[in-house]
Amino acid sequence: MTGDAPLLLDLTEDDPCALMQLYDEHGWGDGLPMVPPTPERVEAMLAGTDPDETIAVLPPRSGIATRRVIAINAVLAGCEAAQLPVVVAAVRALAGSELNLRGVNATTHCVAPLLIVHGDIAQSAGYNSGLGAFGPGNRANASTGRAIRLILMHVGGARPGPGDASTQGGPAKYSYCVAENTAQSPWGGYAASIGVEAASAVTVHCGEAPHNVHDMESANPAPILDKVASAMTSLGQNNAPISSGEYFVALCPEHAAVCASAGWTRGHISSYLFNRATLPVAELRRAFGLRAWAPWQQALADEDRVSMTEHPDNIKILVVGGAGKHSSVIPSWGMTKSVTVPVDA
Amino acid sequence: MKVYAPDGAVGSPTAALAPSVPVLTGKRIGILDNTKPNAGALLERLAQRLVSRTGAVLGLVETKNAALAAPDEVIARLQSEVDLVLTGSAD
Repeated sequence: MTGDAPLLLDLTEDDPCALMQLYDEHGWGDGLPMVPPTPERVEAMLAGTDPDETIAVLPPRSGIATRRVIAINAVLAGCEAAQLPVVVAAVRALAGSELNLRGVNATTHCVAPLLIVHGDIAQSAGYNSGLGAFGPGNRANASTGRAIRLILMHVGGARPGPGDASTQGGPAKYSYCVAENTAQSPWGGYAASIGVEAASAVTVHCGEAPHNVHDMESANPAPILDKVASAMTSLGQNNAPISSGEYFVALCPEHAAVCASAGWTRGHISSYLFNRATLPVAELRRAFGLRAWAPWQQALADEDRVSMTEHPDNIKILVVGGAGKHSSVIPSWGMTKSVTVPVDA
Repeated sequence: MKVYAPDGAVGSPTAALAPSVPVLTGKRIGILDNTKPNAGALLERLAQRLVSRTGAVLGLVETKNAALAAPDEVIARLQSEVDLVLTGSAD
């Protein structure tokens, strides 16, 4: 399957502001200056790969994301060619049926696809997995996340209003990309832990912005993870009434080291959080008239407690960040599953 | 100088809207309740009004998860048992 070649438009000068003005007339752009996608820049981005290969068809617009169209948006976002394989792989992941991109784009929730870059390409393409990884200051993180948002808006049609009904939007919808800090992970890389054996991979997790977990004082895992569990049990998050939801727990290296030095594995942490991140059944029934619970959860009595998700495997553990004692929890939108795919570098 | 448009081509739609039913008299109305709060009440009230004003009859009422597409078997039942479906309610 291939898509038609994208249209070429006239631009008065090679200038981001001129491009913004031109694109504005078509309803394109994210409100920030963009790099003009000239044929020369796009060809350089493609680096000899097949430009007409269809990578995915993205709802709700049913836009055909060919490599060339992806490269155009990568140029717009400020990517370098080294990051294109991650963008392409992430688009492939977005099309996974379990990710439910139609719902992600259409919902009134503030969900945004978080890209987590794993393996060799995190280093070779310049991604930040350390200090401030979720924040600004790194071109690869910023431009890759932004390229995905531009692709969702331009190709998928997820523009606020007709294609994206998010009530308040959210800053994560501008750009949301980090790298896993494998070098400081006591348990190896996340992708391999779920069976994706590749030198490089990317995970797309459609979730909320990170919820901070601050613990400066604990020298053993339980008190740290109790705070993680506390962050997982807020009634306002979309996962609260949806038992199939996922939680990505991005431990900082120091919290991860505390857990690992006590002999805890990823599985131990997920199991502990499954048992500690619970709320009284009556409280959830009072809070939500509509609950998408597993059958065994529906059968619980009001006086019981229920886990925030129906299985420990829905609690994903990885290491992100640098020095300091702040971790984070990224709850999913609810009706979505994360997708991890190899990156063909 | 030239720059590319960023949107690319549009693929084939996965479904097309059915033509409107010109006369409702005698037609069977279905409800596909997406289970958003009050969606069922809103759609049922609308169906009742249509029934009383046009002589249509209320046929099947189905439910689906608001965030997911309706299962194929639900769509098949609606296709076989009603002439038009009322659905769609957001938050």
